[in-house]
Amino acid sequence: MSVLGWRALLVFALLAALPLVPGMSRYYLLLAFDALLFGAIAMSLDLLMGYTGLVSFGHAAFYGLGAYATAILMERGVQSVWACVGFAALVVSYFATARRGIYFALLTLIFAEVVYTFFRYTQTFGGSDGIQGLPDATVLPGLVIDTPTRKYYLVLAYLLIAYAICRVVVASHFGRVLVAIRENEDRARFLGYNVPRYKMGACMISALLTGVGGAIYPMRSAFATPDLMLWTESGEFIISVMIGGLGTLVGPIIGGAFFTILRDKVSSIVDWYFIVIGGVLIVIVLFMPRGLLGLRRIFSRRAAA
Amino acid sequence: MDYVLTVLLPQLLHGLVFAAALGLLALGLTVIFGLLGVMNFAHGELYMLGAYAGIAVIGVAHSFWVALIAAPILVGLVAAVTEMTTLRPIYRREPLYGLILTFGLALVFREGARQIWGGDMRRVLPPFTGSTPLLGMTYPNYRLFLLAASSLILFALWLFFTRTRAGVVVRAAVQDAEMLDGLGVDVRRVFTLTFAASGALAALAGLLLAPIFTVYPQMGVEMILLAFIVVILGGMGSMGGSVVAAFIIGVAQSLFSLWMNPQRVAIAIFGIMIVVLIVRPRGLFGREGVLE
Repeated sequence: MSVLGWRALLVFALLAALPLVPGMSRYYLLLAFDALLFGAIAMSLDLLMGYTGLVSFGHAAFYGLGAYATAILMERGVQSVWACVGFAALVVSYFATARRGIYFALLTLIFAEVVYTFFRYTQTFGGSDGIQGLPDATVLPGLVIDTPTRKYYLVLAYLLIAYAICRVVVASHFGRVLVAIRENEDRARFLGYNVPRYKMGACMISALLTGVGGAIYPMRSAFATPDLMLWTESGEFIISVMIGGLGTLVGPIIGGAFFTILRDKVSSIVDWYFIVIGGVLIVIVLFMPRGLLGLRRIFSRRAAA
Repeated sequence: MDYVLTVLLPQLLHGLVFAAALGLLALGLTVIFGLLGVMNFAHGELYMLGAYAGIAVIGVAHSFWVALIAAPILVGLVAAVTEMTTLRPIYRREPLYGLILTFGLALVFREGARQIWGGDMRRVLPPFTGSTPLLGMTYPNYRLFLLAASSLILFALWLFFTRTRAGVVVRAAVQDAEMLDGLGVDVRRVFTLTFAASGALAALAGLLLAPIFTVYPQMGVEMILLAFIVVILGGMGSMGGSVVAAFIIGVAQSLFSLWMNPQRVAIAIFGIMIVVLIVRPRGLFGREGVLE
């Protein structure tokens, strides 16, 4: 438990108590599910973006592949969560390692576009409709993920595990080398580190965590569609990281949750919510490059002065 | 022989026509890449705005030719204002911020266009119709005009970059803006004007292609992915490379679509890029170290 620290444990305890809040409706529980899932994926992406300095515009592909892995397995009668997650991890890590040194925002973007095109036009996987009407998943024999509360706890468990993994990675020697690569790639290379291998490792961990997040999504929605892989989805992950705060673990979780709730609330009021979201992004880049977490520093500085 | 004349040759010409317009788009993108150090995600939206601005001008002036002059100027102004208000403050920051900022701009422009002009498909009528007998087949006049106009503009740009002082200044800014600043050139003005010109070029490509394609708010998204591939293939930051790569991709796409369905074409184009990058990681004409 020492990997997490008492503050994180306190937050997770509060989150675990969320379904007990009086007046908690099905709608809000599922919104909380989406918020936490988006936050966890943004955190996984930040391992690549904020810590290693590589911007992936293709994370939606990993997310979608995870979702399809679950959907394909469930359609063929496999209902164990663990089998789905394992299969997703396998698929995603295969794709993540197939692209070595030429890892780049645009290559990931085009890679995601090709994966999207493949699923969009392959009738075996349902074409543009995707795979619909999936049954409820089973975690252990007899424990079926069928109510919003159970779904919520499933995503919370995923967030907890993903956060613990990221904490360990960031604090490890491996994580330090990633930061060194971000700060000065040439220097890291001169110090004798195999930079491409470290980048690939970071990419794999990030893609795997994202893929597992994707694998959980159909257990809430009962479907997987090619739209999950659209490049705008990758863009939304990046936006979440930027909103929360680049180069931190907690920031993207907050950013992902904030973004999900903002999108849900704004899109129910106006239909031009993309302008709002684009505007938020521009304002954050221009005036708050540290994201929401940056606000904390401003306030603490004011309090000190 | 019959197959060559009736199927292959027209398709090859279609490819050349498309490639020339794609070259205009990719050239602007690669110059901006040289200046900002990032891909401009909003470039496809400037292309889309060019087509819509053209429709708006045609609605007022009832002339395609007036629109062809006015639309690029209007979009160029939009681009200049955008550059001054949003991009200028972040030039000193990491390229990552520029990438994300232009992504935000793209969202705003696309949704803005959908709010103003609606989401449905629109058409622009070509300014003249009819076709010309050519090499034993007949080919639409407008497409011939499109090929000639785009090629002429590309040639004019080549003259501009090689023969004029302003062109040399822009190339110098692409190479090393700090050095240029040290030599006493107002780099900020160069950046703004270049960004405006690149937007105007994208708008021109958008309006020129509008009579043979359809106009809708998402039209830029599909083109920009192709333009990204072109810029990567040609070598990031190489202007000549972008134009050459535009012709390779344009013709390849046109010929592939004879034998494959559209999604296979997309994957085949991606395949070309991957093969080139494996053999030559810097792209066809790229400088060493930009992408590697």
